[in-house]
Amino acid sequence: MSGRRSLVATDRAALMLQLVPYLIGKGEVSIAEAADEFDVSPDQMRAMVEKLTVIGLPGDGGYWQMANDLFDIDWDLLDERDIVVITNSVGLERAPKLTAREAAALLAGLQLARAIPGVGDTELFAGLLAKLSRGASSAPAEVIVAPGPVDEVRDAVAAALRQGVAVTFTYKAPDAGPTTRTVDPVKVHIADGQWYLQGWCHLREAMRTFHLDRVSDLQLTDIPITHAGDPAPGWFETADDDVVARIRFPEPVARLLGDYLDRAAVETADGMTTATMRVADEVSLRRLAARRGGEVEVLEPAAARRAAAEWAEAGLAQYR
Amino acid sequence: MPANAPAKNPPEERLVNLVVALMATDQGLTKDTILTSVAGYREQSASGASKDALEKMFERDKESLRGLGVPIETIGDWADPDDLREARYRVPTTEYELPEDIEFTPAELALLNLAGGVWSESSMSDDARSGLRKIRALGIPVDEPIIGYSPRISLRDPAFPALQQAIEQSRVVKFPYLKPGEESPRTRRLQPLALVEYEARWHVYGFDLDVGADRTFLLMRIVGPVAITRESFDASLREGAGDRALRGLEAVAASNWSLLEVNPGTEAALRLARRAVPAEQGIKVSYVDAHIFAEELASYGPEVRVVEPPELRDRVIGRLAAARDLNGAEA
Repeated sequence: MSGRRSLVATDRAALMLQLVPYLIGKGEVSIAEAADEFDVSPDQMRAMVEKLTVIGLPGDGGYWQMANDLFDIDWDLLDERDIVVITNSVGLERAPKLTAREAAALLAGLQLARAIPGVGDTELFAGLLAKLSRGASSAPAEVIVAPGPVDEVRDAVAAALRQGVAVTFTYKAPDAGPTTRTVDPVKVHIADGQWYLQGWCHLREAMRTFHLDRVSDLQLTDIPITHAGDPAPGWFETADDDVVARIRFPEPVARLLGDYLDRAAVETADGMTTATMRVADEVSLRRLAARRGGEVEVLEPAAARRAAAEWAEAGLAQYR
Repeated sequence: MPANAPAKNPPEERLVNLVVALMATDQGLTKDTILTSVAGYREQSASGASKDALEKMFERDKESLRGLGVPIETIGDWADPDDLREARYRVPTTEYELPEDIEFTPAELALLNLAGGVWSESSMSDDARSGLRKIRALGIPVDEPIIGYSPRISLRDPAFPALQQAIEQSRVVKFPYLKPGEESPRTRRLQPLALVEYEARWHVYGFDLDVGADRTFLLMRIVGPVAITRESFDASLREGAGDRALRGLEAVAASNWSLLEVNPGTEAALRLARRAVPAEQGIKVSYVDAHIFAEELASYGPEVRVVEPPELRDRVIGRLAAARDLNGAEA
C-alpha cells in the first residue's frame, strides 16, 4: 500500500477524476472512509472535495460560470458531520476506463490468485480477463505470472482453511530433526513462488510459519481451530534470531540476496558491502555462502565462517 | 509571491476542468475557445498571459491527460488534416468511460480485490489500487473477502518499469546485459513484447534486433538503465507474446534435465521434490538456466550430488570450491 504519499498535479487530477464517480456511487460517505479508499489523509480528502466545487463547465462565451455549471456539495454536512454528498454534478459520473498499467497490474495479480486451490474457477478467470482487457483505454503490456505446481499438501491446506480445522504434519526445518506438529491454519503466504503456512502451533503454543515444501504427511484433523483471531506477528519473524552475523560481498550482489538484507544494517565502502544482521543460528549462513559461491564471505561469528567452509568442503568431497 | 499577483489555480483543477469541458462537447472545442473559456486558462488569458505560453501549457496538459488514459481526440481540417490551426478537441464519452455493459459480479470483485493486493511496495501496487478504485466506483456489492491467503509478487528489478512502458508504447529498448562468465556487459537492442515471471524471476521476451530472432532475458542480469529509443515497432507483434514467451521457457526447461542424487529427508530432498521425477538412481529435475540452478544446488552442500550433465556439475563444484576458499582461513 502506498500510504500517505506526496502527489504531483497529474496524480491529483487522476484522483479527482476517480473521486466524482466514487462519491456519486456512494451517495453519502464520510471523509475518513473516502480518504481510506483513496490512500490520502483526511485533510487531503477534504481539500480534494472542496476543490471539486470550483470545477465545472466552461462559462458561455467567456463569461464566468453560473452556479449550476459547477460541481457542488452539501457544505453543512461536510462542516458539521464530515460527510460528503454531491448535490450538483456536471459530468464525470461514470468511472474512467482503466489505464494500460492499471489493467496490467490486475491481470498479473489474477494469474497468481488463480494458482490458489479453490479460489474461483476457470470460467470466472476467463470472464475477468476479457472484461479487464475491454475496460482498458489502451492495450496493456503483457505481464505474465507463471504459477508453480500445486501439490496435495497445498490442496489439503486449502481444504483445512475452508473447513476451519487443524492439520497435523511432519515438519523438517533445515539443519534440525523432523518434528510432528498440529497447527491451526490462519493464513497461507505466497512469496517469490514459495508457499508458507502461518498458524497456531499446538507444540510451541505460539504463532509459527512453516515452509510448505518442508511439510509432509499432512492430514486434516477434526479439531476446530481456536486461534484464528490471534494477532499474527510479521510472518517472516521468528522469536529466536539471537546470533549476530556479519557478511561481506561486492555491492552489486546485494540485489541477489533478496530479503536476507531486509533487516540488516548495511555499510558500503570501495565497492564492498558489509551487512550485519540477526540470524537464527550459526550454521544458517552456510547455505547462503555456498549458493553465492565466492561472492559472499562470512566474517562473524567465527563458527559460522567455519561452518560455511566445512559445508562447501563436504559438498566437494562427493565429487572426489 | 507578491500580494497583488492573481491567485493561481492549481494545475490539477485546470486539468479536470479541461476534461469536463472536452467531454461536454460533441463537435469539439477550438484551442482559442479552450484558452478563453475553460477555468484555469481563462484567468491567465484575461490577465494577459502570452498566447504562446498558454498554448504550450495546453499541449503539456493534453499529454498529461493522455498519460492518464484520457482519450483526447483531435478533429482536424477536412481539407488539410495536418493544419491544426482550426482543429477541434473533444473527449468521446464512450472512449473515456468504463463501457456500460461491463459489470462485475460480487464474486469477481472479491477475486479482483485479492489480485490487486499482490504487489508489494512498487508502482504496480499503486496501479492495481487505482484500477480497483475505478471498478469499485461502479458500486458493485462485494462478496465476503477471500481470507486465508496472502499472495505476493516482488518486483526488485529496477529495469521493470521502463520495459513495461516500452512494451505499452511498442518501442525498441537498449540495455546493458551481463551474462554470467562474461567480463563486461554487452548492449542489447530489443523489441520488447512481454514480461514473464517464471520460477520467481522476471524475464523480458522480445525480438532481439542484433540476433534477428526472439530471445528471453533475465531482468536481474540487466546491469544498467533501460533506454527507450524513438524507434517503434508494429504493435501487432505483441499479440500472444506472453504465451509464446511462456512456451519458450517451458521448452527450455523440458530440454534441460539433470540427474541428481539426494540424501533423503534433507532440505535438498524436500525442496526439490515438487519438481522431481524419479529416476533409476536418484531423481531427474529440469531447469531453465544452468547458472541459477547451480546456485540452488550449491546451497545444499553435501545434501545433493550432481551426476549429470557435466556443465551443471562443474558449475556446482566451482561454486562450492570458491565458497570454501573464501571462507577457509580465519577472517
